[in-house]
Amino acid sequence: MKLVTAPEWVLKVENLGKVFGNLSKHGIENTGPEAGTSKDSVTGAIVAAWDVSFEVAAGEALGVVGESGSGKSTVMRCIAGDQAATAGSVKIRTAPDEQLDIFNLSAAERRQLRVNKIAVVYQDPAEGLEMNVTAGGNIASPLTAAGWRNFSAIRGRASELLSRTEVPLNRMDDAVKSFSGGMRQRVQLAKAIANRPPIVLFDEPTTGLDASVAAGVLDLIRGLLEEYGLAAVVVSHDFSVIEMLTTRCIVMNHGRVVESALTDQLLEDPHHPYSQKLVSAARA
Amino acid sequence: MTQQSIEQHNVVLEVRDLYKHFYLHTIDSRCVEALNGVSLSVAAGEHVALAGTSGAGKSSLLKSIYRTYKPTSGSVLLKLDTTTFVDLVSLTDAELATLRGTKIGYVSQFLRAQPRRSPFDIVMHAGIQRGMDRQTAKDAAAHSLQRLNLDEVLWDVSASMLSGGEKQRVNLAAGTISPPQLLLLDEPVSALDPANRESALELIGTLTSQGVAVLAVFHDIEAMRRLASRIIVLRNGRVDYQGSPEDALTNLEGVAR
Amino acid sequence: MTDLLNELGAEHDQKQFGILDEYSKREIRRAILTAVAVPGYQVPFGSREMPVARGWGSGGLQLTLAVISPSDVIKVIDQGDDQGVNAVNLRRLIVQSTKVHETTTASEASIVQSRHRIPEDGLDEQHILILQVPVPEPLRGVERDMRELARMHAEADYSKMWVSLYEDKVRNGVITQTTGYPCLVNDRYVIATTPIPRWDIPRLDQSPFLTLFGAGREKRIYAVPPYTPVTPLTFEDVPFEVEYTPGANCSQCGSSKSFLVEIPGPASRWVCSDTDWCERNSGKAQ
Repeated sequence: MKLVTAPEWVLKVENLGKVFGNLSKHGIENTGPEAGTSKDSVTGAIVAAWDVSFEVAAGEALGVVGESGSGKSTVMRCIAGDQAATAGSVKIRTAPDEQLDIFNLSAAERRQLRVNKIAVVYQDPAEGLEMNVTAGGNIASPLTAAGWRNFSAIRGRASELLSRTEVPLNRMDDAVKSFSGGMRQRVQLAKAIANRPPIVLFDEPTTGLDASVAAGVLDLIRGLLEEYGLAAVVVSHDFSVIEMLTTRCIVMNHGRVVESALTDQLLEDPHHPYSQKLVSAARA
Repeated sequence: MTQQSIEQHNVVLEVRDLYKHFYLHTIDSRCVEALNGVSLSVAAGEHVALAGTSGAGKSSLLKSIYRTYKPTSGSVLLKLDTTTFVDLVSLTDAELATLRGTKIGYVSQFLRAQPRRSPFDIVMHAGIQRGMDRQTAKDAAAHSLQRLNLDEVLWDVSASMLSGGEKQRVNLAAGTISPPQLLLLDEPVSALDPANRESALELIGTLTSQGVAVLAVFHDIEAMRRLASRIIVLRNGRVDYQGSPEDALTNLEGVAR
Repeated sequence: MTDLLNELGAEHDQKQFGILDEYSKREIRRAILTAVAVPGYQVPFGSREMPVARGWGSGGLQLTLAVISPSDVIKVIDQGDDQGVNAVNLRRLIVQSTKVHETTTASEASIVQSRHRIPEDGLDEQHILILQVPVPEPLRGVERDMRELARMHAEADYSKMWVSLYEDKVRNGVITQTTGYPCLVNDRYVIATTPIPRWDIPRLDQSPFLTLFGAGREKRIYAVPPYTPVTPLTFEDVPFEVEYTPGANCSQCGSSKSFLVEIPGPASRWVCSDTDWCERNSGKAQ
């Protein structure tokens, strides 16, 4: 009998792989942290991610740490469906006794998941928002996709979400392109949680924002994670973001997971040489 | 200690032959030996203070138990209910995370980054996390902050605005509200002025009567003398001596001289 | 010009009917059959060069010439007017090259080609209404990527359309889109109801006649078959409204129940858009 059980996963990634180009016979063995490259020297294929596995439960945030090019964003994009994975599986639990292997779904079903199951908050708001559309209209998008057809109900829900993410309501009917960077991220957050998805993926959510603005956005994300009990994946190269939002994390290097640890343990007692280098660089 | 004696003494924490070695790959793969086979136990209602010179492994031991450090070998048995123990070293990260804050508390010198949450919120949420209902947690949080003399005007400001001593008291309040069965204290009063230190020590003193097993590191001997029911002296990552505060402190002073 | 058309008609009398060759007719008819079978779906077709410029009704003309037979009676209107320059020219082209009968009365026609209106009355099960469509893609305003457009139709993912209606309502207080108002056909495909005004949209819903939409420049054909539901996209709490100017009456026949257009000028006045209906209505009034 198991004495301690972690809460059941909502998102489960197993042996996820993404290769750009054609691999040679020994392409996998000849890439990765030991080889010091993610490029197959024979064919030039890039092994952006390989053999990546992790689980995330409701109310839990998992960090994915690594330098740019380590494959962390690739992993996120494969889960989100922005990119097609080469190998592995991604399962989500939609009900206590119901799970979906999302790579088995059609493209249309995958997109439907993005409406109310898996939301993504991108580093660049232009990727997650229509810049010429108003803040309210951007939120109306997932709502109408989920079948909302009542104008005042949509308005009501949009203003509720915008106040939750601390966007002044007098800006609700302004085009998002007129917003500051921090405000755009807040609109993106409001849009992400519009249909109360159980899973939210954050790709460098505060990178590029001023420190004080970033702190406010981080606070907000932290509050949303708690309030909605989200299963979250936070991709970031910034340890202060990881420390503030996540309880566990994985470290990626040349497309592979080199370490997985409790977040405080990673920061105080990193094991893998690459993690130690990353942490000491961040602490310097 | 045998299984039977564990039960007899109502042991909550049992550390067996714990090693923690750091391999510093960035510095010519040097190995730093922080713990070299520590064995000890803490019973319910017992306050065990760790003593020893700096570098003896006191903080490393607390962190290895909490798994902020991942032990190299050995086991850390934590009591879950009257008859079952779980080895924290062998749990997965996700499993361990569920015990933190609920079964094991850790109060350090520093408040972890929570910029815009108020002290009151932080303390109240700690109570809720350990199973209090909202109203009880509210009352308990107020009581606890009062007891630690945190000025009421600071209760609802952002915790990032607090001074070091104020943060430390918030930390202590959060750690001791509806306390978990095992509480690890890492210099919990180091930044406090004498008056606040007094009320903090008093609060820590009440934990044992609530049946909490406390394992603590203090930087001053006076606090240990006052609170500890037993003192364990560490040296070079091993248990050097353990005994009553009187004997241990005499012993320790002897070493210091 | 007239002689040339007569010649063309005479010359082809033996081999083909009208100015479209039989292969072209067959291709267009196939596209029409697909369009009827999948209501609202935009079927690509190999739009031919017509002796009219693209954008001047070449799509509607090809549909008409592909379905027309010697026993048909044709009515052609520009806006609502049988005497509009473009209507006159297209009618002359059709009639002279096919020798079919022409009429201005909708009920007497079997094929009505129009670049704006559905005639106020007279269309029934035996009619085919052919509309000249400038922009067949209802989502053109909200998405430019052709593959993405195809995907959105394929998955019936119309949330961008809804967002654009939301934006219209927020920015203007009302939904301002007039011609080309997006409608859901047979609960599946959203179509642009261009060129018809909002006024005519309720008349498309469950209509007894077949409506064919032809876009020559964009090379698309789509259809609303008889008795097919056509629902304008609108929020539950924002009722769909047709154009209406309070107090306006037709200055010719006095009607306030037909689609009126304003004739600008120092003393602007309103007249029926459907001139034939207006004349008959005036007659009744007298």
